Amino acid sequence: MTTIRSHFHEELDALELDILGMGELAERAVGRAVEALARNDRGEVEAVIGGDDEIDARYLSVEQRIVELLALQTPVATDLRLITSMLHVNLHLERIGDMAVNIAKTTRSILDLPSSGTILAHIEEMSDVVRPMIRIAMEAFRTRDLELCLRLPAMDDPVDRLNVGMYTEVAALAGDPGRLNWGLRMILIARQLERVGDHAVDIGEQIGFLLTGEFREFTDASHPVHLTPDVG
Amino acid sequence: MRRVEVSDLSAWFGAKRVLHGVNMVAEPQKVTAIIGPSGCGKSTLIRCLNRMHEEVRGARVEGKVLFDGIDIYSPDVDPVEIRRRIGMVFQRANPFPTMSILENAVAGLKLVGRKSRAELLERAERALTAAGLWDEVKDRLHEPGARLSGGQQQRLCIARALAVEPEVLLMDEPASALDPASTLRIEELIQELKDQYTVVIVTHNMQQAARVSDWTLFLLYGEVVEFGPTSKLFTRPDDQRTEDYVTGRFG
Repeated sequence: MTTIRSHFHEELDALELDILGMGELAERAVGRAVEALARNDRGEVEAVIGGDDEIDARYLSVEQRIVELLALQTPVATDLRLITSMLHVNLHLERIGDMAVNIAKTTRSILDLPSSGTILAHIEEMSDVVRPMIRIAMEAFRTRDLELCLRLPAMDDPVDRLNVGMYTEVAALAGDPGRLNWGLRMILIARQLERVGDHAVDIGEQIGFLLTGEFREFTDASHPVHLTPDVG
Repeated sequence: MRRVEVSDLSAWFGAKRVLHGVNMVAEPQKVTAIIGPSGCGKSTLIRCLNRMHEEVRGARVEGKVLFDGIDIYSPDVDPVEIRRRIGMVFQRANPFPTMSILENAVAGLKLVGRKSRAELLERAERALTAAGLWDEVKDRLHEPGARLSGGQQQRLCIARALAVEPEVLLMDEPASALDPASTLRIEELIQELKDQYTVVIVTHNMQQAARVSDWTLFLLYGEVVEFGPTSKLFTRPDDQRTEDYVTGRFG
């Protein structure tokens, strides 16, 4: 078979590689942000915040190159689905990078406050689930594996559960104003990690679209079947 | 406006078979595009739809082309009448060089019986208006048609095809010899014409097929690889060969 649009298809391959690279950067940023929190490490906090510039630069570059391909190459069929999927995945990864920054900035504001080992363990547990979720979503992209994508919603369930449980755990710190102050920030961090999980599921949905040509949400946020925050 | 239904249609030039059991439907008020690489049989197929294929020496057809339920290849069907009801516009604009714009527009009408001058003028205005040319030529109807630009000449040929009031309009690469602006003008015109006609267009420009058609048929080596809604064919085709062709992985 003769490829008659080789430059176009080479650019698609290059974009895909860049996005896979972004996936690694975003996943590592989340891991380092949570590690910085767990180790009370100011240097690591600043490294995560500074490292987001590279993710942002890649995001802008990918976005610009995709817009150029749309304008100049009139992609269709699989090429079109790949390009629209990459456009979405690119944005999801950039948002994950921002969430790592949010975690790092929140950590920066509570470095000297007393903490809770249990809550920290649960935050680390959330991180230990959402980072593999990002890896699986990107692996599904790399290998065009629909089965992998479909595993993501179930992986997200414990993350949602830990996030909801965080309210109760922090409420238990009510008698200790120092820890409570710290704990309230943990609600924000848990929320960021929960959102990272959602983005990983959304990436899986995009890969599902790429592979099947049909877009469907793996989970329906407007009709949740469980887990409403117990904040009352 | 009538439906054209092609059933198990094969065509030959002498001993060479160029179409292999084609099935397709062209629905009224829809544009059906035929795409495929050079030599795949696109032009032969469209020329079979109004019995023009048989005008070539040694050419023959098997199978059915039902027009409003009647097989146009039945022995009792008059091919001239079929070609009036199923009009054709060709790749190169071919106005009669010695005729005026007005004479060109009504050239077909004169062949199908005498008309009064007033009636010819009225039919010419209607056809030129439908072809989107009236405003540009109404003040110089008696100038030679050959003096118009390429895009205008092609619209004049479309007007000539419309003047005999066909029900189906076949267009064989109607914009391939035109500049981009004239091409877009023709594409807009096709969108307007489909309200009143069943339109079938052959194009080697896939993006043109994507822009103008509702249904697309992908023909390869004289066989239908895929026939379906244009939006589906260009986003998630069923056949890998369609995928490879529309994405430019072969051609």
